[in-house]
Amino acid sequence: MPAPKLPGLVKGLGVTLKTMLRTLTRGSHTVQYPKVKEAPTPRARGVITLHEDNCTACMLCARECPDWCIYIEGHKYKAPPRRPGGKPRQKNALDRFDIDFSLCMYCGICVEVCPFEALFWSPEFEYSEPKIADLLHDKSKLGQWMETVPDFQDYESGSEAKKAKVPR
Amino acid sequence: MTALGDTRQLAYIAGQASDARVNVELETEGMTLNIGPQHPATHGTLRVIVKLDGERVVAAEPVMGYMHRGYEKLSEVRTYPQVTTLVNRIDWLGSFANEVPFILAAERLMDVEAPPRAQWIRTALFELSRIANVVLFLGDMGVQLGAVTPVFFAFRDREFVLNQIEAVTGGRFHPNFDRIGGLKDDLPKGWIEETKGVLGRIRTFCDEMEDLVTGNEIFQARTRGIGVIPADVGLSYGLSGANIRASGVDWDLRRDGGVGLVHDQLDWKVWTHPDGDSFARYWVRLQEVREACDMVDQLLDGIPSGPVMAKVPRIIKVPAGEAYVETENPLGVMGYYVVSKGDLVPYRVKIRSASFNNISITPWLLEGTYVPDVISILASLYFILGDIDR
Repeated sequence: MPAPKLPGLVKGLGVTLKTMLRTLTRGSHTVQYPKVKEAPTPRARGVITLHEDNCTACMLCARECPDWCIYIEGHKYKAPPRRPGGKPRQKNALDRFDIDFSLCMYCGICVEVCPFEALFWSPEFEYSEPKIADLLHDKSKLGQWMETVPDFQDYESGSEAKKAKVPR
Repeated sequence: MTALGDTRQLAYIAGQASDARVNVELETEGMTLNIGPQHPATHGTLRVIVKLDGERVVAAEPVMGYMHRGYEKLSEVRTYPQVTTLVNRIDWLGSFANEVPFILAAERLMDVEAPPRAQWIRTALFELSRIANVVLFLGDMGVQLGAVTPVFFAFRDREFVLNQIEAVTGGRFHPNFDRIGGLKDDLPKGWIEETKGVLGRIRTFCDEMEDLVTGNEIFQARTRGIGVIPADVGLSYGLSGANIRASGVDWDLRRDGGVGLVHDQLDWKVWTHPDGDSFARYWVRLQEVREACDMVDQLLDGIPSGPVMAKVPRIIKVPAGEAYVETENPLGVMGYYVVSKGDLVPYRVKIRSASFNNISITPWLLEGTYVPDVISILASLYFILGDIDR
C-alpha cells in the first residue's frame, strides 16, 4: 500500500499560508508609490538630458532617431580669435533643441551616436503631463535634467571597457 | 432530424445558420460565439470565432491582425541599428530574445563575429528573457483556470529578473542592447552576484508552483488529456518550442541549431513530455525555467574577459546578400530572413515568429472540445499577441 499522499489542494494552501506569514513578518514586496520611492538603476533610461555646452548642432542624433522626434536648429557665427592677429574662429550655436517625449521610443540611439558627449540618460521618470504638448521638452528643460544624471558605474571584472565621465 | 454526434453535419448547419442569419429549426441551436478581440480570457486582442453546439465547439477560427503594426515594412525604411528598437516590441515579454536572431543574421551578412565575452553575455540575457517570459506563463496558466494566486507570485518574481535586465541594458521591457558585432555596453559591477541571488528566487518560485499548481487536483482535472496534439499533427502545423516538445518531439534549436550563441558549451538537457496535452505543455515550460536558471548560472561563472564589441564601421552598411537565422526563443522558433542590397537599410525583412504558427493549430485542436477547455487550451498554447501580428 502506497503511503497516503497529501492532497494537492492542502499543499497549495500551505504555500499561500507560508507567503502570508512571510508578508506579515517581513513586510510585502511592494511599496506605496507616491510615499515610498524605489530608486531606479543608474543605467535606467528615464529621460534624455542635454549638456548644451558640448552640443555642436551636428544633427547626428536627429538623423539617427528611429521616429525622428528630435528637432534641432542652429547657426554658425564667427568668434573673435584667441590670440591678437589670429583668424576669427567658426563656432556653432544651438538655437533650438527639442525632444518630443510623446513620440520618443526610449531606444537610446541618440545618446549612443552623439560624438561630443552632449546627450545622457537620466533615470528620472516623473515628468508626466496632463497635456500631451507639454511633453515636448526644449533645451533649457532638457538641460535641467542634467543634475540628475548619475555617474557611470564601474564595470564587472574581466571587462576591457573604459569608464566614461559625465561632464558637470 | 439531425443525428446528434454527427459533428461534421452539425458544423455545416451551424455555419449555414450563422452565416445566412436565418433561423433554422434544429434540435440543438447552433451558436456563434466571439471570444475576443476584447475578452478577459484572451491576453491581447486575439479573436476566436467559435461555433457552438450546446457546450461543444464544432468549428473555431482565430482571427488575427487586430494588432498588426507592420514591422516588416517599417524595417525597410530603418537602418540596421534602428531595426532592433522595432523588433524589441514583437514578443514584449522576452524582448531581448527578439533582437538576437536579427543581429545574428546581419552579422552573418557582414561576416563579423561578436567577441566571446559578448556572446556569453548575450546568451545569459537571452536565457534571462526566457525566464522572464515563461515565469509569467506559469502564473497566467493558473489565472486562466481560475486560480488567482499564481499570477501574483509570477509578477512578484519576474520583477527581480526584469530589474537585472534593466541594470544591464537600461530598459525593463525594451532593452535594445544587442549590436551588430557585440553589445552596447559591458556588465556593471556586482551584477553577476545579484543575478545569482535572483536565480535562487526563481528556483524557489518553481518549487512553489510545483506545490501550488502542478499537484492541484482541479488543475490536473482541467488540463490532463485536454487539447492533445499528436507529434505528427503538431509538426505539420509548424508548432515549435515547448508546444512541440510537450508532444514528445526532441527538437531544440539551442542544441540543434548551432548559431552564434554558446549553448553548446553548457551542460543542460532538453525536456520533453510524451503526452502532448495542456498539462504537458505547462510541465515542459516549468522544467525549462529550471533548466534556464542552471544555464544562466553556468554562463555567469564562465564569462571570459575581453572586449564586448568587435571592430565594425561606424556607419553600418551591410553587403548584398541574403541570410536566414532562427533561434529558440521563449515562445518557439523565431527567425529573420534578411535581404540586403548593400544599403544602409535592409531591402526586405521577413519575420518568422513562433506564436503565429502556434496559434494556427487552433481550428484543428478546438474542434470537438468543450467551452471551458477552450480557455485552458488557448492558455497552454501560450501566445503573445505582438508575436502573432507583428
